[in-house]
Amino acid sequence: MAPEAPARSGKVSSARNRALLVNFFRRELTTRYLGSVTGLAWALLSPLALLAVYQFVFTHIFKATSFAGQSFLAFVAVALWPWLAAQEALQRGTVSLASYAGMIRKVAFPHEIVVLASVCATFALQFAGYLAVLVVLVLAGEPIHLAGLVVAVPVWLILVVGAVGITFALAALQVFVRDVEHVLMPILMILMYLTPILYPLSLVPQDLRGFVAANPFSWVVARLRESLLDGQLGLHASDAIALAVALLLFAGGRWVFRRLSPHFEDFV
Amino acid sequence: MRLANVGKDYAKVDTRGGRLRLVYDLLRKRGAANVFRALDDVSLTLSRGESLGVIGENGAGKSTLLKIVAGVIEPTRGHVAVNGRVGALLELGAGFHPEYSGLANIELAAALLGLSPREIAAKRDEIIAFADIGDHIRDPIKQYSSGMVVRLGFAVATALAPEILITDEVLAVGDESFQKRCIAWMERFLDGGGTLLLCSHSMYHIQKLCRQAVWLKDGRIELQGAAEDVTRAYLTYHEEKAAAAKSAGMPLAHAMANGAYAIRSLETSAADITQGDDLSLSGDVYSPDGREPVVVIGIVRADGTPVFGVASDMDCVAIRRGDEHRFEFGLTFPALPLQPGKYWIKAHAADPEGLRVFDDVERPLIVRGRTRELGLVHLAHRWHDGVDR
Repeated sequence: MAPEAPARSGKVSSARNRALLVNFFRRELTTRYLGSVTGLAWALLSPLALLAVYQFVFTHIFKATSFAGQSFLAFVAVALWPWLAAQEALQRGTVSLASYAGMIRKVAFPHEIVVLASVCATFALQFAGYLAVLVVLVLAGEPIHLAGLVVAVPVWLILVVGAVGITFALAALQVFVRDVEHVLMPILMILMYLTPILYPLSLVPQDLRGFVAANPFSWVVARLRESLLDGQLGLHASDAIALAVALLLFAGGRWVFRRLSPHFEDFV
Repeated sequence: MRLANVGKDYAKVDTRGGRLRLVYDLLRKRGAANVFRALDDVSLTLSRGESLGVIGENGAGKSTLLKIVAGVIEPTRGHVAVNGRVGALLELGAGFHPEYSGLANIELAAALLGLSPREIAAKRDEIIAFADIGDHIRDPIKQYSSGMVVRLGFAVATALAPEILITDEVLAVGDESFQKRCIAWMERFLDGGGTLLLCSHSMYHIQKLCRQAVWLKDGRIELQGAAEDVTRAYLTYHEEKAAAAKSAGMPLAHAMANGAYAIRSLETSAADITQGDDLSLSGDVYSPDGREPVVVIGIVRADGTPVFGVASDMDCVAIRRGDEHRFEFGLTFPALPLQPGKYWIKAHAADPEGLRVFDDVERPLIVRGRTRELGLVHLAHRWHDGVDR
């Protein structure tokens, strides 16, 4: 069955697409943890467990007590969450079209909505977890400046825009080349260690620091730490560049997606 | 609704490298290098209130055509213009999300159509009542039987008041009573000025619901016209195909040895006649020993189903002698009651005892006519207390 949009005229269909996005988004949230026993708690527990392991390895084995003058736990937690969110968003978003295969083959609707809903749902859940962790850290006496959220929230939003763009391209490619999903995992793993999440940029040797800093995610990490750990709320020139990069990724990813999406029906 | 020279190519990829190559080609907005033409040069016009049946063999491009009209896929070539709200039921349970419950899928479907939550709520009970699947409405779609999925699909597609309804083989799955309700709904829909595009392997449904029909073969239009004519031609094609498959596997039944009784010629008064006209046959028979042979005349449908057969000795008729070895025969079927379609006239020569059949000569016969009656022949009949409408 496939009741299809009336005229494909602007106003009607944009209202429909918004309703559709809301519908998909809500379903993503409810069905994602519907079949699992642990439910929503797992979304929070798994990053917490990872954080605990890092805390153990770095402070008890490597004996790293503080980084750049901050406690290790707060230092890592602030940066780890957005990375895990982006990683999950990319991985889930890349394969999201497959579960809508039946609809893609038989109903006329913009396929972008599927990817958009998937990425947004992941970020929404992870951001909720992030807020919870910040509150826990504050209660535990860690030096967190909650006022820094004024900067942190826009940083997250820019991250979402960029992640949506990358996921558009990956999801479209995944329809044709199933390897994308498998190649993505190790690449993300490598990128995580090349990003100053578990270590400060200042520990990177001077001649390599440029490369590491050029990673757009380094900007996310740096801005979150400056705002939430140091309480700096000012704007940087790098913010404009980051926004431009995110918009460019979005536009590029959507271009790839739109070129390929008319052919999904045959391959998904 | 208008389609002009519409064609659709599907990319063919066999290797991993081929897939990468395809992505590269598509990104550069070039067509795929290696394609399968699912649909080619199809032009159709369907006005408000009309009904069109789409028939054809598996893989002829029927579903592709419907998908293009529904807007699910874009044609590779040509133009499509559809005015009106389209409700499409493409294949089994199309468009449902298998993990969601029936209720959630109703909402999803309505959202796809752009209905507000309030409008959806108003329609929900109507949909549930039509689908009539009881408490299963709360279960995930993946647990449904195929019949239940179709019921829900039809209920959703119809409750949303489409102006154009596109259905693909949905009637084949529902049970008898649901089929009846669907057909009743479609008839009401057509009476109310709705436009129907129906794809079915059931010629009965096509003839019952559609005035126009189009026969697709290998992605092209083979025949287009009144539903009766097109379905008949399509059935004939299948009958011939079945007959060809049968005879190809069989050795020649009657060896035609030299010097046997043989039909030398067989003429029909017309190869193409109208139902109810007279049909006359005439011909020559060769007799090797000068004795009077028996002539057997038969009519079979294009698929080989016998309709009628008679031999000259059954009717105690003597064949007229032309010269020593040549005999002439002729007979007439007055007011031929055969239903429109394609048939073969067969003539056999048998020995004077009528024991051995030696020859087998065939002539094609096309009977034309406009009727919606079923079967092989028109039987004279009369309805009791009938009043003309």
